[in-house]
Amino acid sequence: MAASVSLDFATLARLADAEPTPAEDSALESATTLDRFLASVERRAFRIAQMAVRDRDDALDIVQGAMLRLARHYARRPSEEWKPLFYRILYNGIRDWQRRRAVRSRIFGFLPGSWPDDEDDAADPFERVAGDLPEPSRQLMADEAMQRLETALAQLPARQQQAFALRCLEGLDVAEAAAAMGCAEGSVKTHYFRALRTLRARLGEVW
Amino acid sequence: MSDGERWTENERRARELFDASVEGLDAETRSRLNRARQAAVAEAERAQSSPWRTWLPVAAAASLALLAVALWRMPGDARDPSAQSTEGAPAAEVVELLATSEDFDVASEDPEFYTWLADRGLPEANGTG
Repeated sequence: MAASVSLDFATLARLADAEPTPAEDSALESATTLDRFLASVERRAFRIAQMAVRDRDDALDIVQGAMLRLARHYARRPSEEWKPLFYRILYNGIRDWQRRRAVRSRIFGFLPGSWPDDEDDAADPFERVAGDLPEPSRQLMADEAMQRLETALAQLPARQQQAFALRCLEGLDVAEAAAAMGCAEGSVKTHYFRALRTLRARLGEVW
Repeated sequence: MSDGERWTENERRARELFDASVEGLDAETRSRLNRARQAAVAEAERAQSSPWRTWLPVAAAASLALLAVALWRMPGDARDPSAQSTEGAPAAEVVELLATSEDFDVASEDPEFYTWLADRGLPEANGTG
């Protein structure tokens, strides 16, 4: 028994002193890299999804689904490819959500009160006012401006919304946005230009 | 873009508003995003520690494709047993041939065939009378 205990202690000591294997190192490093990447995009992705579906819980579900799909299927791909891949998955999720909603509204739309009105779903600007901001009135004005921008964005065709969100709000370059949207770079430029033109017409020279 | 300065100002303003809305996310939303991220990273680690989960469906699909190709490429004769050659047919088939009355009559009318059959060392089927 004593021999067995001393062996166990020896094994434990050896395990404790052992250097991680290259495979363990690699797995840890890739997990850290993925965590860092997701942390860098999760909030912005959530806001983009929220602007598209205008519902917080649904937007959270869509972002969570996009994270899981990226992790499950593309974690081994070079990390430089993750951003366009992630946004492509995200927009696929948004499109699926919009299709499901369209089907549901066709099926249940004739029932009174069966489907909440879009205006009821729209986020209340006051909900986004953070309590610790030094100038609440200024923040409120920014929130209202953002609300106007969101409303105008929601009226754009889907591809123009995507081009604007990816290029302007998320800061992807044309090639990344094209990869995320699954179209040619020229199409991204066209959609983006038309989105800007329409937004300027609806919101004024300077938003 | 001909009016680049004006567009740039609009883009900059939109980006500022968006950044502010991201910064203003409430604690509960941040927390849920954090949990979702941790679940995704754990999923990636699981997928990495058991690569068969990734490759098993691929291997299964490849095997099915190979099987389909093999069946498609197989010669028609091999798939149709009725088309097999009767050359060197086993004795059982000859016995079966003789078991029918029609075939027996043909054999009895042809003594050479009957002699050949006897040379094969087969038992006389159904008697001779």
